[in-house]
Amino acid sequence: MKNFIKYFILVLILSVGFQSCNFDFYPTDQMSSGSISDSPDGIRNVTNGNYALFKDGAEFNGFVDLNNCYLRQYFQLSDFSSDDVVCGQITEDPFFYSFTYTHSPAQSNTKFFWYMSYKIISGANTVIEILNLKDHLSDEEKQLLGENYFLRAIAHFNLLKFFAKPYTHSDPNTNLGVIIRESTSEDGQKARASVKECYDFIETDLKTAADLMNNPRGVEFASKEAAWALLSRLYLYKEDHDNTILYADRVINSGKFSLETVNSYPSLFPNAQAASEPIFLIALTSSDNRGKFGSIASMYYSDGNSGWGEEFASPTLQELMANHTEDIRWSYIDTLFAEDGVTQSKKNGLYVYWITKFSFQDGDPNLSSPVLLRFSEMYLNKAEAYAKQNNPTEAFNNINEIRRNRGLEGALITEVPAGKTLLDIVLDERRIELAFEGHRTTDLFRNKRNVERTYWGYHLPGITIADINLATDPSGYSNLIINWDSPRNVYYIPVDEILANNLCVQNP
Amino acid sequence: MKSKIILIILLFISFSGFSQYQGTIQDTDKEPLIGVKVAISGTNVGTISDLEGKYVLNANKGDTLIYEYFGYESQKIVAADKLIIDVILYESDYYVEEVVVMGYDVKNLTEISSAVTVVSEEDLFDVATNDIGTMLQGKVSGVQVVNSSGQPGSGAQIRIRGVSTIKPGNDEPLYVVDGIIGGSFDPNDVESITVLKDAGATGMYGARANKGVLIVTTKSAKSGDAVFNFKTNFGYKIANHGNLKMMSSEEFYNTSSELYRDYDTHQIDLIKFYQFYPQELKTKNFNWVNETFKPSFIQNYYLSASGGTDKSRYYMSASYFDDGGTFMNTSYKRLNFRLNQISKISPKFSITNNLNISGSKGTYYDYMSMYYSYLSVPWDNAYDADGNPVFVDGTNHDWWSRDKINPIHSIQNSDYNSKGGGISYDLKFEYKFSDLISFNSNSRIGFNTDKTHNFVSPAAAGTYFDKGYINEIQSLWYGGITTNMLMIKKSFNNHDIRGLIGVEGENGFYEDLSVEGKNLPAGFDVPSVASSELKIGGNNSEGISTSLISQVNYNYYKKYFLTASYRIDKSSNFPPEHRVAKFPSISASWMINRESFFNGSKAVSLLKLRASWGITGDPDIGANRYMGLFNLSSQYNANSVATPFQLQNYGLTWEKTYQTNIGLDANLFNRVSLSVDAYNNITKDLLVLVAQPLSQGFEFRWENQGQVTNKGIELAMDITFIQKQKLNWSFNFSGAYNKNTLSGFDAPIYRNLSGITQVYENDVDIYTFMLPKWLGVDEQTGAPLWEKFETDENGNIINREPTSNYADADPQKVGKALPDFQGGFGTEISYGRFTLSSSFAYQYGNKIYNFTRMGMDHDGHEPYYNYMQPKDDWVRWEKPGDAATHPSMQNNALSNQISSRFLEDGSFIKIRNIMLSYNVPLKNFAKNKIKALTLSLSADNLKSFTNYWGQDPEAALTQGDWAMPGVSDFKYPNSTQFIFNLDIKF
Repeated sequence: MKNFIKYFILVLILSVGFQSCNFDFYPTDQMSSGSISDSPDGIRNVTNGNYALFKDGAEFNGFVDLNNCYLRQYFQLSDFSSDDVVCGQITEDPFFYSFTYTHSPAQSNTKFFWYMSYKIISGANTVIEILNLKDHLSDEEKQLLGENYFLRAIAHFNLLKFFAKPYTHSDPNTNLGVIIRESTSEDGQKARASVKECYDFIETDLKTAADLMNNPRGVEFASKEAAWALLSRLYLYKEDHDNTILYADRVINSGKFSLETVNSYPSLFPNAQAASEPIFLIALTSSDNRGKFGSIASMYYSDGNSGWGEEFASPTLQELMANHTEDIRWSYIDTLFAEDGVTQSKKNGLYVYWITKFSFQDGDPNLSSPVLLRFSEMYLNKAEAYAKQNNPTEAFNNINEIRRNRGLEGALITEVPAGKTLLDIVLDERRIELAFEGHRTTDLFRNKRNVERTYWGYHLPGITIADINLATDPSGYSNLIINWDSPRNVYYIPVDEILANNLCVQNP
Repeated sequence: MKSKIILIILLFISFSGFSQYQGTIQDTDKEPLIGVKVAISGTNVGTISDLEGKYVLNANKGDTLIYEYFGYESQKIVAADKLIIDVILYESDYYVEEVVVMGYDVKNLTEISSAVTVVSEEDLFDVATNDIGTMLQGKVSGVQVVNSSGQPGSGAQIRIRGVSTIKPGNDEPLYVVDGIIGGSFDPNDVESITVLKDAGATGMYGARANKGVLIVTTKSAKSGDAVFNFKTNFGYKIANHGNLKMMSSEEFYNTSSELYRDYDTHQIDLIKFYQFYPQELKTKNFNWVNETFKPSFIQNYYLSASGGTDKSRYYMSASYFDDGGTFMNTSYKRLNFRLNQISKISPKFSITNNLNISGSKGTYYDYMSMYYSYLSVPWDNAYDADGNPVFVDGTNHDWWSRDKINPIHSIQNSDYNSKGGGISYDLKFEYKFSDLISFNSNSRIGFNTDKTHNFVSPAAAGTYFDKGYINEIQSLWYGGITTNMLMIKKSFNNHDIRGLIGVEGENGFYEDLSVEGKNLPAGFDVPSVASSELKIGGNNSEGISTSLISQVNYNYYKKYFLTASYRIDKSSNFPPEHRVAKFPSISASWMINRESFFNGSKAVSLLKLRASWGITGDPDIGANRYMGLFNLSSQYNANSVATPFQLQNYGLTWEKTYQTNIGLDANLFNRVSLSVDAYNNITKDLLVLVAQPLSQGFEFRWENQGQVTNKGIELAMDITFIQKQKLNWSFNFSGAYNKNTLSGFDAPIYRNLSGITQVYENDVDIYTFMLPKWLGVDEQTGAPLWEKFETDENGNIINREPTSNYADADPQKVGKALPDFQGGFGTEISYGRFTLSSSFAYQYGNKIYNFTRMGMDHDGHEPYYNYMQPKDDWVRWEKPGDAATHPSMQNNALSNQISSRFLEDGSFIKIRNIMLSYNVPLKNFAKNKIKALTLSLSADNLKSFTNYWGQDPEAALTQGDWAMPGVSDFKYPNSTQFIFNLDIKF
């Protein structure tokens, strides 16, 4: 019995020893949310993280799909449904539904875009909440706070682009916008605000942001001018012409940017960080190269191995540019020839015209730092605002400012050609200048114009290579023309949101 | 090697003479004992006594004959000159019977009052494999084993009594090796496996026992002269593609012409077709599958020695397993050494040292290579005139296959391999203070490291062309566990009490490091030479748990048995308030056949009723799931960043299963043994990733929600039909029915893989598929049809109708991935020294999503991918009025999108193994040296009988990245194997 007691005590001692072990472990490559405000660089890291979310993939729906990346979805969801890009191949990638307008609430690209947008917003709210609790902000903290207001605004603004009707469609007071998230602690169940409420919220954030940002960190980060540039675009979309012009002028008059010249324009996109036009871009380094499976470029270009190269510059865009082979903007459209260098190459029955606005940073075919706000847009915003104010002189001035720097000094516009309107001229210039940069579909729909795609391509339902006859235009296909007020001009709200948020109403 | 071969040849020519021993076996009342097993020790040669208690057995002089009979003490007699050996067996006072290793202690079979199945060494080894799961398939009722990959070195998945958790991650049962949780072992060293199925048995493992427990016991050190055992099996394996056969050139050509069937005239426009598809294509016929899958060799060698004195005994072994994969450039090799040693320092004190060292190397494949090896078009030839793989890239215009890749060129210009090694060392002390009390201390330290190497040469076409790619990952795991227990044993007046109380602590560390880079000089494949896009990664983690364990076993008259255990676990995976959890269990059994009213009945030698109840848990959610977290693993413009990663939940707690089991064991006429169990297991507070509104910026949050109920019945049966001196015929069967139901969910939870959705919601089975329902083909238009429905305001379906618009089709519940019924059966006939055995596995009632068929039965959506050969009853629509299974290629919009079209019945019966073995009689020459020699030939995985139209219907049950239970996606095919086995004891 003595032994029993002795060993029972031994067991007790052992057990006490175990119970007193340290059970608090923190991950070695993650930071607990509580420690962000305590850490000296916590705020800066979260802010920088919000930029990284534009370019990074993430585990989603149970796995990491290389196709999923905010920027890739941003450009594909907009340009693949436009008349600037022709679909060269049927694919399982959900971007195909942008070409065909056969959207579904379950498509993974809209889901991921929605999810990452709100992750950026959540990150921005984290910083805004922490800094707003402080009595005194340093200059750097003010800049960071401003950047987060900007990030919250641009994320909401880009969501509206895909999931809500344009402001100009009646009625922005009742048309549903997106869910506004302005706090990390608010209830998950939340209804969509109206388009108008969203615009107001974004406008306020951008103005706050512009006031706060006085310590710029480069075009890779938000700045006062970036906030102004986005305000100009916001007012353009609202058709608030005076403010469109006012904020575009603030950017122009800041003196920080200049239009590229004929000589420098070809290196604008491959070398965006050093170029003079970008106002705000997302910087990618070589380690961010998403390669064949995830880069934006891989769908637009291939050197034979680098990408899929399945989508081409559209015939109608090229027709619009056809009269001016001297236009330097042709430098981002690359015709593919067979080995003889003369015969044009076809893929799946279509001639191949590579698009290279997302290639050749560091010479890599899949790498670029996509530009989200660009200086020439300021002139185009002004031109459109003036056009709508019926001020052709100013509209022409602003267009010609661009044309002079694109090799078209000899083809300046001084009058509206027959059969066209002033707005046509402005929008044509905007189409050519901003092609493949995510503008075209939005520009058409907000101006109540249809997407016309009467050319061969795999956007046509049920088409096979045997159907393609390049000698004639396609006819009889159901989606050659997409009406500006078609309900499918707006993507469905991702089904995950609808299922988990009872207050969120689906788009028709 | 040469001498080994000579030895084997000598053995073949050297067997002959033996003597015939015979006699009568009686009990103490001089009644003949029927069905007594008489066997030669160390062999599987034996016989059974007949109705008069008589037996005849051929044996060599000097052989030890063993007489065994249930309820009687067994006897050993050495065969001498006297050829008649009569035997009297004494009824066992303390029933001499199998002892069962239960993990923390050892029990007699009768003493066990819970659902436990023991699989011994001789029953394990039929199929040639290095995986214990594969060996267990179809052998234990209630244990589902799925060989979801034929990749050499991959293990089967094991599910005990259904699935009790819905969180992604590890669903495998807990392994306990030689009494200590975790550990590593080589299957060749296994003496027995005890499968613990109910809480009465698993309760002792408390927090970790939700998925059942496999107790692995390695061969123990035995005293006496050194005994050597050499075993080998080797043979050929060929890929078994099941019902998946790709089209030949001509078949593909003819099918492609359907693309040119005019939708209005219903005729094929041959002129146009020949223009795009010249007729000479039919003369090109490259069989991609045969070129990428080749027969290969599999071999396994094992050598062991055991012996020693009463003071010190040893068992040591070395084994080598080499599986050359059937797919190009895949293989797996494993080397294992084990030393089990026990020293009795004094009658009171013993020390056990177990050491296991293993190393392995495998070469793997890129998923896309296998994908292309099935789907590439037969008009493309992988090789040039000189037999070298041709380089193909996007600029090739004369290459038909869609993505312009030559998978054979890719395989030959890449290398995916993995090396692993580990040491595990157990140290055990046992000190007996007295007959009453002893102290046991069992500890293990372990160390494992793995390195994977992924390399693509700059010569390979594709995304790394002209650059090359290298990625290496090295991981390190080390940790220790210690269990210290006081064991108490006391008997008085027909009461026996045994008990234990102890503490257990475990600490594990994991570290990994990864490097990646591009732009390598040709011919070099190490990270140092990469010159661009360099990336590094790595992190560490640590986990700790401590436990208090206790158990009491009591019996009265060896008729009434009671076991109770109580365990308290503490784990760092949960927030501070919920780290401690308590796990009680209780079980009882009644040996009815020992009651007086059963006295004298020889018909029923065992009748036992069992019942158990208990709680078990599952903490396997990984560390830090309750914290709000920001990721630090990315960068922006070369600045460090933090991105929102996880929402916090400080209320997170353990997932627990409340298990109830009732069972009956019986043995009738010594011919039929039967075990029946019924159970009801309710797992509550499931650890679930609950979907959050994405607009919060988070996809999920870990929460406790819902419950899963598994109810089932299990039957295991062994019948001996014929028991003659020379002829024996037995049959075994195991079957388990399991019904799985979810409940208590606030809202449905959806999981999605590549668009395939499964739903977790109230009143459905776990892993229920939620897909648009396929309704076939519209007879008038040839268009695909799905079902859409209208619902009223309460969500009730008021109208169902077909639609050809995929977007209108409504996802609905169309089947589940887990079977209703599964198990195995087998039969063994022995005649003299020949034994013919076969074993089968089956399952019924599960659905498999045939992702592979989506790619291969594509209705022309992918004109430059090959098709699979159609099932006999498939019909392609050609003209209005056709009752077709397959839509018109001209009106096929989205027909190959995800729908129940590709959800197929996964039921099967599979011939696991057929084996013919011969126990070689040994001639004088070898007699003194060779104690036993068995030769056998076997065929593994011969055929599966199934309606499933694809690779064999064993679809993975794991959840995780790229994996959804019940989805079959271009898996590495399993193999059919033809194996020669040799087993010598000397």
